[in-house]
Amino acid sequence: MSATATARRWVFAGALVLAVLAALRLVVPAGSVPGRMLASVLDVGYASSVLRLTVPIAFAALGGIFAERAGVINIGIEGFLIVSALTTVIVARRLPWAGVTGPAALWLAFLVGVLVSVAVAAVFAVLVVRYRSNQVIAGLAVWLIALGLAPFITLTLFDSSSPTIDTFGTWSVPLLSELPVVGPVLFDASPTVYMLLVATPLAWYALRYTRLGRRIRACGENPKALATGGVSVSRVRYAGVLISGVLAGVGGAGFTVGQVGTFVAVGQTSINGRGFLGIVAYLFGNYNPFAAVGGAMLFAGFDSLQLRLQQIGALDIPAELFGILPFVVVLVTITLVRRTRVPAALGEPYEGEE
Amino acid sequence: MDTAVSLTDITKRFDDVVANDEVDMRVERGAVHALLGENGAGKTTLMNVLYGLYRPTAGEVYVDGDRAEFDSPQDAIAAGVGMIHQHFMLVEPMTVRENIALGWEPVTHGGLKTDDARIDTEVRELSERYGLGLAGDLDTPVEQLSMGARQRVEVLKALYRGADVFIFDEPTAVLTPQEVEELFDIFSQLTAQDKTIIFITHKLGEALTAADGITVLRDGERVGTVDAAGTTREQLAELMVGREVLLDVDRAARGASGDDTRLSVSDLAVTDDRGEPAVHGVDISVRGGEIVGIAGVDGNGQEPLVEAVTGVRDADAGTVRFDGEAVTGLSRRERLDRGLAHVPGDRQEQALVMGFNLVQNAVLGSQHRPPFGRRGRIDWGAAREHAEAVIEEYDVRPPNPDLPARSLSGGNQQKFVVGRELSREPDVVVAAHPTRGVDIGSKEFIHERLLAMREQGAAVLVVSASLDEVVQLSDRIAVMYEGSFVDVVPGDAATEEQLGLLMAGEQPDEPVPTGAGR
Repeated sequence: MSATATARRWVFAGALVLAVLAALRLVVPAGSVPGRMLASVLDVGYASSVLRLTVPIAFAALGGIFAERAGVINIGIEGFLIVSALTTVIVARRLPWAGVTGPAALWLAFLVGVLVSVAVAAVFAVLVVRYRSNQVIAGLAVWLIALGLAPFITLTLFDSSSPTIDTFGTWSVPLLSELPVVGPVLFDASPTVYMLLVATPLAWYALRYTRLGRRIRACGENPKALATGGVSVSRVRYAGVLISGVLAGVGGAGFTVGQVGTFVAVGQTSINGRGFLGIVAYLFGNYNPFAAVGGAMLFAGFDSLQLRLQQIGALDIPAELFGILPFVVVLVTITLVRRTRVPAALGEPYEGEE
Repeated sequence: MDTAVSLTDITKRFDDVVANDEVDMRVERGAVHALLGENGAGKTTLMNVLYGLYRPTAGEVYVDGDRAEFDSPQDAIAAGVGMIHQHFMLVEPMTVRENIALGWEPVTHGGLKTDDARIDTEVRELSERYGLGLAGDLDTPVEQLSMGARQRVEVLKALYRGADVFIFDEPTAVLTPQEVEELFDIFSQLTAQDKTIIFITHKLGEALTAADGITVLRDGERVGTVDAAGTTREQLAELMVGREVLLDVDRAARGASGDDTRLSVSDLAVTDDRGEPAVHGVDISVRGGEIVGIAGVDGNGQEPLVEAVTGVRDADAGTVRFDGEAVTGLSRRERLDRGLAHVPGDRQEQALVMGFNLVQNAVLGSQHRPPFGRRGRIDWGAAREHAEAVIEEYDVRPPNPDLPARSLSGGNQQKFVVGRELSREPDVVVAAHPTRGVDIGSKEFIHERLLAMREQGAAVLVVSASLDEVVQLSDRIAVMYEGSFVDVVPGDAATEEQLGLLMAGEQPDEPVPTGAGR
């Protein structure tokens, strides 16, 4: 993938956000209702909220990158997010019975959430690598099963369809959090935000400079080249999918215990398409971790925007219409930004090994 | 001299099919040995046995005098056997460095980082020692390199893995004539340092030029081993095919009729799938009774050009005319109805439905018109007759119209496609790589049929990566480079060397006489 193509995407994303805001600024007289709306968007709270909402989408995107660059279509990433989110809530609610309480319980719940996501990823990996199932169908199955089981399990275990738990809250970094604007946004944030800030460059580095990373990239492009180099394609694909499970698990569990403190087992669940947005984010970012997280941020920006516009309630528009805003942006983005370079061997089961 | 590789009585059976039947082969250290044979003769199978991809059903492999039992290519690599496949085993978006070290990456920092510095030192040293000239390209993604350079990356990769014996599978298939010469220079560099080379080919000239010894396979059996010195092409061809073969087409002796321009292309511009301009400013006209060949290294716009002429792809600008009538805006079907026959370059992707049987494949492109299509229904009886006629005339084997196209060998698929297309009684024939992957015998026949089309007054446009073929068939040759014609020369005036330079985008020192011109 060329660096210039990636840069072009970034410029496009930034320009889109700025253009929307600038257009609003110009059109809207200060002090009017829309003016107040605009003011409420252009503040520190908005920035923090965007960053928070970015986390699950971005982790889904990073997870997707690892699977797809290894050559496995991971359309079930939404399912990974759902199972890890649900597991986290269950564990966090059950642990106090075992005498574990407070932050320790939350972290344990988080960890178990990630592990269950990895377990689901392992099953998925066996299906698509070992048994060469159709990757799209297996992925959809993961999602549909998660979507079907989640409300059932929730209603069986709890008396509400949206059980709540505590959250990590925010961690302030001493001194740095005192900085204007940047401080409250970046350094007084949920630990999951910090995880993302660490995971993104790590993912980029891993793909570019580590042995496994290079093999993962080769595996998605030309698995035969890898096999003739004496490396097991299956193993690399397992590794890619399992890493995908870890990252998606962090996304789902982190979203639940790091931000919302609940799992809503209604409709699309509280995950509500964030895994799918993650997929669009990495396609948008051309499989580059930084650009993918940038894409996630773009969608989160519009997600947060629609939430705020709803809260203000100044416009007489049904909430559902606001709700589709991020998805409209997705459609516009994938229409306008087209040159995604998909790994050449993506979705093809590797036949060379017995 | 000692023996580097020795294969004794190798038999390889796949279920009931015998791919190799008690084949013997010995190669001395520091020698270049050609493994010659037609498609399906078992050359690649034999080399896959040596490279550990297959285990022989019977027989023994010796490398450096030691009995070798390879379970996988890794074992072969460990024993110093490297293979450069016909389709390069390279990861195109990755850099030369990443490709060379793939699977063998040294690491530092406790495994957290590949040791690129170490890779670089070693690769530079090897590149220098064997004159491969890649030291400056380590950071270049492989996809930006020419085919010749990619092949050198493969050689370097094998050297990096410690190969002493190099197997090249059809190494010249993707190269320009100049690159072929460079490749043979590399052979010399390698053998000068006691490396051993075995190369698979079906091209007689190459075997004679580059090899010391030649082993000829036919139908899985070794039919002879000869010294290159003192052997003629005719002798080799006869060994290879098992009968006397007419190696050169005698175009001049064949009549040609018609004088009007039947196909003309003017100022054509085409964009490829990636949105890049692939063809620009192309002008050519082909008269009835004329064959115009397009020479060029694969990927210089031949494919989009053919697609635009045949209506598979829309042109951005310019006009295509059949018999003076503009067809640029017409669909593929409308062009077929106006007398076009199209042999696509990729038979499996574009010409055949692999899961359909030959009866179904025989009517593709004509399914809508009599005698096959009547009121939206297909007359399968007529289709079967047609399929049987094509199979008979073109000697498609096995001659069973109920077999799916998939079960035929590539050469037979090609014969079937050529047969189907030429049986349309076309006025305009566009044939891309008409003999790609077919053996000498069938090639002779397909050439014969194309000349017959010429005789009947059709305008024939042939695209081929094989310079021989273009030179033999064409009345005029257009050389294509980076999307346009660098020159159009009379077929019998140009030497291969001049054409080779034109194909590489350079002008030859001595200009080719342009008798006919454009």
